[in-house]
Parts: sequence; C-alpha cells; structure tokens
Amino acid sequence: MNLKQTLLIAIALSFIAIGSWETYWRSQGYYPGLEDDKDLWANQRAKVENTTKDDFVLLGSSRVLFDFQLNQWEAETGKRPIQLASAGTTPLPAFHDIVENTNYKGTIIVGVTPGLFFSTTYPLAMFWDRVQTRIDYYYNRTYAQRLNHKISIPLQNNFVFLTSDEEDWVDDLNLKTLVNNIKIGNRVASPMPEFYRFQDIYADRNVEMKYKAATDTAFANTIKKVWGFYGKQAQAHPPEKDATTAFFLKDLKKFKARGGNVILVRCPSSGGLRVGESIGLPRADFWDALVSQAKVPSYHFEDYEQFKNLECPEWSHLSAEDARKFTTELAKIMLNDGVITNSKTN
Amino acid sequence: MLFNSLSFVVFLIVVLALYYAPLFNWKNKKRMLLLSSYVFYGLWNPPLILLLWISTMVDWTAGNKLMKEENQQKRKFWLLLSMFVNLGFLAFFKYGDFLLENFVVLMNTIGVEFHAQPMGIILPMGISFYTFQTMSYTIDIYKRKIKPANTFLDFTLYVTFFPQLVAGPIVRAKDLITQFYEPKKATINQFIWGLFSLTLGLFMKVVMADTLLSETSDTVFDSNKVLNFWDALAGTLAFSGQIFFDFAGYSTCAIGIALMLGIILPDNFKYPYASVGFSEFWKRWHISLSTWLRDYLYIPLGGSHNGLVITYVALMVTMLLGGLWHGAAWTFVVWGALHGTYLLLERTQKKFLPFKITAFNGFFLAILTYACINTTWVFFRAKDFVTAKNMVGSLLYLNPDGEKVLESFEIIKVFTVITILFLCHWFMRNTSVENVAKKAPSWLLGLVWAIMFVLIVIAQGSGEQFIYFQF
Repeated sequence: MNLKQTLLIAIALSFIAIGSWETYWRSQGYYPGLEDDKDLWANQRAKVENTTKDDFVLLGSSRVLFDFQLNQWEAETGKRPIQLASAGTTPLPAFHDIVENTNYKGTIIVGVTPGLFFSTTYPLAMFWDRVQTRIDYYYNRTYAQRLNHKISIPLQNNFVFLTSDEEDWVDDLNLKTLVNNIKIGNRVASPMPEFYRFQDIYADRNVEMKYKAATDTAFANTIKKVWGFYGKQAQAHPPEKDATTAFFLKDLKKFKARGGNVILVRCPSSGGLRVGESIGLPRADFWDALVSQAKVPSYHFEDYEQFKNLECPEWSHLSAEDARKFTTELAKIMLNDGVITNSKTN
Repeated sequence: MLFNSLSFVVFLIVVLALYYAPLFNWKNKKRMLLLSSYVFYGLWNPPLILLLWISTMVDWTAGNKLMKEENQQKRKFWLLLSMFVNLGFLAFFKYGDFLLENFVVLMNTIGVEFHAQPMGIILPMGISFYTFQTMSYTIDIYKRKIKPANTFLDFTLYVTFFPQLVAGPIVRAKDLITQFYEPKKATINQFIWGLFSLTLGLFMKVVMADTLLSETSDTVFDSNKVLNFWDALAGTLAFSGQIFFDFAGYSTCAIGIALMLGIILPDNFKYPYASVGFSEFWKRWHISLSTWLRDYLYIPLGGSHNGLVITYVALMVTMLLGGLWHGAAWTFVVWGALHGTYLLLERTQKKFLPFKITAFNGFFLAILTYACINTTWVFFRAKDFVTAKNMVGSLLYLNPDGEKVLESFEIIKVFTVITILFLCHWFMRNTSVENVAKKAPSWLLGLVWAIMFVLIVIAQGSGEQFIYFQF
C-alpha cells in the first residue's frame, strides 16, 4: 500500500462521485437555495436590536412568510421589514421576546392564522416550541455556530446536493432523508402525508412560493393533504382562545405603553382550508373578538375587494406573483389609513 | 468548535498552514498551537477559558512545589489543593444541581420542609476530561513518577491541546508533555494517515452515529410508551452503536489530527464489542478513562492485592464513581453498578469456575458479553428509571402488546448495521485498521476512503454535538 497513491485515488474518486451526484440532482430539476434554519432566523432577530421607530418587524406563521414580499413593502414604505415569521408557529413567543427583551418601539405586523395564533400557550406544544427554539438559539448561539453558518451560505447557494432543511421535507437530499424514504411494509401507521418543499428562501428570509407549487395542481394537492392532516389533528386539540388572547393582550399593553405600534393582519386562505377555518375558528368568535380587545389597526383579507378573490394554490399561501400584489396593495391601504408612514417621503 | 463542522475545516487548514509554513521556530509553533487551542475552545464560550486557566495555574504551581518540597505535610497540602480545585470545579459545574436536588429530596424525606430552585449551571465543555488530565499530572509528580514540565508553555499546551481537549483521550503527562520538548513534524505518511483517520472518525460520527442510528435510538428512548420487544431491542442496539461510533469517532479524529501535527496520541478504543468478558471490555472501551480510574482510584482503594473483599469493594466503588463521572444522574450510577456487578461475577467465575476460552466458545461469549453490555446502555440512555424499567421489561418480552414505534426498514437497518459492527469488531480484535490497511492495495484503500468522504459530504450533518461532550 502506497499512501500517496491512495490519497490521490481517494481525491479523484471523491471529485468524480460528488460531481456526478450534483449533476444528477440538477438534472432532476433541483436548484441550489438556502435553508430556512435557526441561524437565518437569528440573524434577522439580531437586527431588531438596532432599529428605529420607523422600522417594521413581521411576526406570524408561514402565511406572513409567503405573503409579505420584502421588496414590495420596501418600495411602498421606504423601509425593508425584518422578517421573523416562522412556519408552523404561533407569533406569541416571538412577540413576547421583543416586548420583554428589546427596546424596540417601531411597528410590528402580527399575522393571525387562527389555527396557530389561538392554539396554545403551553411551552412544549409544537407550535410554540418550534419558534421558542429559534428564540433560545438566538440568545445561546456560539461564535462557532455563527461562523459555521457564514461559511455554509455560499455552499448552500451553489450546491444542490446540500438541499436540506430543519423542516425535514421529504425531498431533502441529505443522506438521512434519502435513507428514511425507503419504506418496507406498513408496521407503523404513518398518518403524516409526504410534505414536499414548496418555497424558496433568501438571506433576508424573503420567501417565495416555488413556481411548481403555484402551477402544478398535482404537486399543490400533496400540500393540501398535509393541511388536511393538521386539520384533523387540530380537532383533538381545541383552541385555547382565552389563554392565548390574554397572553397577547398583556404583551400588547406593555408594547403600546412604550410607544410601539401593532397591526394585526389576517392573510388569505382558500378552498377547503378556508372552509375548515370558518367552521373551526369562526371569524366573529376569534378574529373579531381579538380585534375588539386589542384596539389596534387590523386588516382581514375578506374586507377588501383587492384580496377577496385571491386564490392560494395550495389553500394556505399566495403564489409569488399574488404575494407581490398583496403586499403592495396592503401597504397602500395602510398608508392611506395612516397607520404606517413612508419614511422616504417623510 | 466541533470536528464535524465547517468552521473546524477552516480552522484546521489555517493551523496546519501556520504549523508547516517556515514562519516560526518550535517555541513559537507551540505558542501558535496554544493560541489556536484557546480559539478552538473559546469559540464555544469564551468566559469558560478562565476555568482552564485556573486549572492550569493551580496544577502548574502544585506540580513545581511538589517537586521541590520535601516536607510530606506540605506535599500533601499541594496535592490536596490541586484535587480540591479540580474536583471542586467538577462538583460545582457538573454536580451542583444534582447535589442540590438530592439534598432537597433528603430534607423532605426526613420531614424538613425545604425547596430550592435549580441553579441552572452551564456545564463547561470537556471539564471532566481536562480536570482528570491535570490531576493525573499532579498526582504523578506527588508519587515522584514524573518530573514537572520543562516550561509553563509545555504544560499549558498539554492541558489545552485542541485535538483532545474536550473529549479525550485523557493523556498522561509522560506521554504528551515530553513530545512537546523536541520539534515535531509529521512525515508524509503520518500526515496522510492522520487525514485518513480524521475521515474515518468523521465517517463514524456523521454517517454511522448521526445518520444511521441516532434517530432510531431517540425515537425509542424518547417515546414515553411501553414498547414492543423488537422496538426496544432495535432502540437499545441503535444506541449501543451510536455511542460507540460517536465517541470512538471523536477519538479517531483526535488521534488523526494530532498525527497530522506529528504528535502521537494513544488509542482509546480497541473493538470493544468483541470483548470476551467485562474486564476485557474495559481494556478496550474508553481505555484512557479506564486506566485513569485503575491507576488513581482502584489501586489506591486497595486494588487486587489486598484480599477478595477489598478487591470487590474497590472494584464496585470505582465503577460507581466511573458511572457518576459520565453524568449527574442516578441512572448513570446504576450503569456503573451493573458494570461493577458484572466484573465481580466475572472475577468470581474465574476463581471458582475457570474454563478455557477457545475460538468457538469465545464468539458466543463475546455475543453474551455484548448482550449484557446492551442492558447497561438502557440505564445510560434512559432519561429516568421509569423509561429504563419499561425498556428492560420490553427486552425481557414482558410487554408483548407494547407499542410499535419503528418502521420495518428502521429495524432492519439497525440490525444490519449492528451485525456488521459486531463482526468487524470480532475480526479486528487482534489487529488494527493500520495493519489491515498496510496489506490492502492502494486502489482499494483509496476507494474505501473516497466512499467514506462522499458519504460524509452527502450526509451533511447538522453539526450535532458528540455525546461525550456532555460528560
């Protein structure tokens, strides 16, 4: 055995294998992109520490992520918002964190997805814990973790085979997912339908729905099945309306007292999901009740001609094109109402 | 900083470049290594470098005083000071909450109403390793087995040397400090073999432990349900594989990185799952800890030359404390107690029922040993005794209607990996990777190396911590 020869053979074979692997996945329609991970979130959260009264922070779940387009918002208001919405989570912990742990007194736009906002205040519940984990990570991340993320960004942006996400999409390309996708028999009933990635995310956490999700009905249907799964699960866990409302109002009072501005937004949903939301969490009982107690500017998509007929391809989020229209129109409405101002023209 | 992270790749390249560039003399290279080691540690939590410094200063001072001092009382004072500081750090940072929690339970048991909030003390990474390492230095000088390090720089580098700082191997002063006295440079073959070892270690950690086994183990041990036999068995086997690949992977990385710098670190694992008996297991598993416990605890407690009773007591105390070293929980103590019991039974068998071990019965005895060790892993991994009890019940087939939480493929995957692991250990038990590699053709070794590297890259890894960091 000649070690130098061994090393050269290993290097050559590794290059060939990784190059082939990358080429194969590109040929399957994959393209490189970032992971919506806790590091990306923590980087945006850090920005809140250096904000002014003119700034905007976006909180909520995936609807705020998909439906608020940062370029359009910046074009209308003169300020690029800080995107802190987090998929599949309640906004309450993040709002609580900003109120308690920062001096921020600008505008916070809180997305109200009823099934998530009114879900729970139990810290170990999934919808709470998912975002609380990110908040904790922001405070506890080490310098090594920051450095790892910085180095990983150019790699994620250039190599398809690194496609992976904290969400554990079924079409991630890491070895664990590829192995886990092998199924033999049906020993354990797996009620969770296969959940495919349907978003692209950028360094400032601007999210756009993938073109395929907006145009391929069969693909969109796979995502609708996942909403159906969560809808059925929600039936076993009734919303904690009083507890969640009280939790939010307490923080809201404190935030308003220091001069902060909160705007509630109900983003569009459609199809079966909207029907389910209307039955399970009727507007009058949840959204209207919250608005009447919060006494802050509030915008429900059903109240505006521009938004009434927006169709979400997979029932819960807007396509990238509709999201741009939605953001522009919503910003204009808010500017007209005087609840926000354009910092450029001012 | 973790070996399985992108920042470490950059860090190592920079360190190697500075080490081999004709910029520094040997003394400055050592300074550079020391500074790099502090960066390596400080990128996790900079203020905790202070503990390293205190431990370093105390043992450096104690070592020098012990060398010069002839008065036995004063010598004892310096030894006790070193042990007080090092064990005090361990007691506070690692066992503070555990001691408080048990104190509260004790008070309440005897009828005293007492409540206390957990202190929430952060556990400094690697504290169990570097405190044991520095204590061995002072104890060895006290026993006049070694002389103090030539310079403060040599000693500081011995305490802080980044490849083995946070999870061992726990290296004795005589094995490492003396290597710092003369300029060190890896030969080409040493460097390449070090790189191969680093790849092998990362493969064990990232691919075998984190990708193939950890999820199964987590699903089973975190399920809070009474499980089916097959699920409990697969989960236990998965953890036995995970902890081996995780920890042996770290040691292999550490040995490889040090070798790339021309420094030799001792083996820490020698195919432990093919052990025939438990005393052999402890000669093959975490060797640097088991020899530390043997030399600094078991022998001072009486060892094996003071009669059967003292031997048994010393053995059991050593294993109980060894268990507690791994974590501040009673489940770890039970893990140590089980190993202590196994060792006592084995000694008794060897004394009263000796028999010859052949190649044939050896294989079955190795399987039996591995099965018994797996039982101990249940207590090691379980978060509480209820989980451990349920797991043991399921493994004894007492819960035939237990829940199924694993897919068929997951069970097949674990059994396949563990069978291969066990057979590898069995066939490698009297040799080493280096010996096997020497006999292999270059193309074959190159192919194996490439496969490991590509799988590490594809696995990606999420920078998961090594299990032993928490100890």
